[in-house]
Amino acid sequence: MKIALAGNPNSGKTTLFNAITGRVEHVGNWPGVTVEKKEGDIKQSLNPKKENLIVVDLPGAYSMSPYTSEESITKDFVLTEKPDAIINIVDATNLSRSLFFTTQLLELGIPVVVALNKSDLTEEKGIAIDIPALSDALHCPVIQTVAAKSANNGLPELINAVITVVRSGKKQVALNIGGVRNASTKEQFEKADKKRFAVVNTIVAEVERRKVSSEKQTLQDKVDRIVAHKWLGIPIFALIIWLVFSISQTWVGPWFADTFVGWIDLLYESVAALLGEEVNPVLGALLLDGIIGGVGAVIGFLPLIMVLFFCLALLEDCGYMARVAMVMDRFFKKVGLSGRSIIPMIIGTGCSIPGVMATRTIKNERQRRTTAMLAPFMPCGAKLPIIALFAGVFFSDNSWVGTSMYFLGIVVILLGALIIRQITGDFSRSYFIMELPEYRIPSVKRAAISMLMRAKAFIIKAGTIILVSNAVVQMLQTFDWQLQVVAETAPETSILATIASPLALLFIPLGFGMWQFAAAAVTGFIAKENVVGTLAVCFGITNFIDTEELALVGGAADVSSVMGIGAVAALSYLVFNLFTPPCFAAIGAMNSELESKKWLAAAIAFQLSMGYVLAFLVYQIGTLATTGSFGAGFLGGLIAVAVIAGTIGYLMRKGSKKEQSLPEIGVVKA
Amino acid sequence: MNTVNIVVAIVLAAIIGLAVLKIVRDKKRGVKCSGCPHSCTCSVKDSCD
Repeated sequence: MKIALAGNPNSGKTTLFNAITGRVEHVGNWPGVTVEKKEGDIKQSLNPKKENLIVVDLPGAYSMSPYTSEESITKDFVLTEKPDAIINIVDATNLSRSLFFTTQLLELGIPVVVALNKSDLTEEKGIAIDIPALSDALHCPVIQTVAAKSANNGLPELINAVITVVRSGKKQVALNIGGVRNASTKEQFEKADKKRFAVVNTIVAEVERRKVSSEKQTLQDKVDRIVAHKWLGIPIFALIIWLVFSISQTWVGPWFADTFVGWIDLLYESVAALLGEEVNPVLGALLLDGIIGGVGAVIGFLPLIMVLFFCLALLEDCGYMARVAMVMDRFFKKVGLSGRSIIPMIIGTGCSIPGVMATRTIKNERQRRTTAMLAPFMPCGAKLPIIALFAGVFFSDNSWVGTSMYFLGIVVILLGALIIRQITGDFSRSYFIMELPEYRIPSVKRAAISMLMRAKAFIIKAGTIILVSNAVVQMLQTFDWQLQVVAETAPETSILATIASPLALLFIPLGFGMWQFAAAAVTGFIAKENVVGTLAVCFGITNFIDTEELALVGGAADVSSVMGIGAVAALSYLVFNLFTPPCFAAIGAMNSELESKKWLAAAIAFQLSMGYVLAFLVYQIGTLATTGSFGAGFLGGLIAVAVIAGTIGYLMRKGSKKEQSLPEIGVVKA
Repeated sequence: MNTVNIVVAIVLAAIIGLAVLKIVRDKKRGVKCSGCPHSCTCSVKDSCD
């Protein structure tokens, strides 16, 4: 028996899906978290007779008329796969908005069971719903549920109701709305929608009683007046992000990292003692420096990342992130995007891949592609070890480095969107309407689950891709092209050095023209964490966290002297790694969402150019400010930057001409 | 080759071999990035289920 979960965005579908299947799919207190359908079996406690019950969680939809692609996933699934039953999740606190979609589902002829979710909140809000009357009005069972609760949540009753209606074999009766099903033209659809709204309003008036007047300003409204304020919203957002980075990288994270790195150190020392002097130096170095040292250097940052993910999950769960989208909408609209584009970018702070995937909620093609191109500029979890490393080694107040990289990412995205809009010559505008979710006390359990899932992913990645990469890097720097072991005094003769050295020449104007940095930047395309691992292997630094000083990165002077670069070049290298193309997996996701090889090539070229230009500016301006003269390779770098700027300028001019030749400007496409 | 070197070589081969095996198996299942909980759905056509 196949059961579809359908309902409005943020009605709690994925929470209900997780509760009845026992799975741990990502949930968030904002609309648009689910963009793909997910399947799972109903767990045994809710299915004692062990029937074949498969549940499909569908992306949220407001109606059956597709407006965005994730809504068409819902529509296509319901119409083509013909599930045996539909559980329509209805937000009990917002009946009038939710029932519009319900009336459309009732017309499909598939048995519908309404799950009146978030029923615990109705009492708090002074809302009373006459359940039997609602069930009579809709001609289907209505079950009160609280999917977020672990007991007394109405879920056994819900599953029983579904099984009963399917077994009864009765066809679902639709509401009599009068000719709406034959609508084919736009005008007919509009008329039909009005009739549908009228029917919904009549039902709601009959079954719902609200004690609270909608005109009265609630506490949530008062909070929103501050956090979503036109001007206050931005500094509040900056402060919150600074707090998140401070907690994860300065206050709490290092405390956990200290213990964790102690274990890695212990492992390293124990293995070194076990091997003794007898072991072959190549094998010993591969095991100790390549695998334990390289992977350990990356894994050492895991506690910091976990704390950061935990804080971000709390922010998502409390409903604040939806306000960020609203605050940013004003700025995004000015560059041809909308607040809808900020959602993929916020999701991208965990990992760029789901961030890029989330762009499919944007209907306007140019906006969708622009967002998919630019979303990887937000610092993802894989880039955090790089931020933590460089912030800790070269900057004492490291939480400001992370925060500024986050906001630099937003500025780069705005600038990038402006450039892309000019190049494409598409000046269409769209309007962003988003339902703000209710604030709620964030669930520590949900945040912990989200954090542990991401930590698991990080550990698997470290034990596979990063481990193999570090082993390869270690071997490439151990041998020369004659497969002879490289002398300690001549590391530049290694295979790795000879491959990376020509590339390093390009990086001289950026302040890090050394083969070790070039090699690390290249391995970063396999996985961004590799940058830290490769630097650890190339410079022979086993870990970057001082366990005795309880500092994020101890022995900063030692590490920076081994690396042979100063703070300005380090910042330039950090910027370069954050704003060049993401890892190959994220590029694969971009390929899927951009749906055009031309756009993909342009995206990669744009990201490479952006990273190079920003790193050049940071290094040369920083060097000028600190030493009074430009850094090495200034002229060569200036020529390269001029060529990039000239090419972009030419394309933007060409795009503007294209736009001028259009008969109508500013057509609303979405 | 002494015993220590043989043991270390076997351990290295096992660690790297297992890591490569996991990556290859994930690729066959459509996982583009080992460990990533989203990589099954990052391509429209591929699925890990």
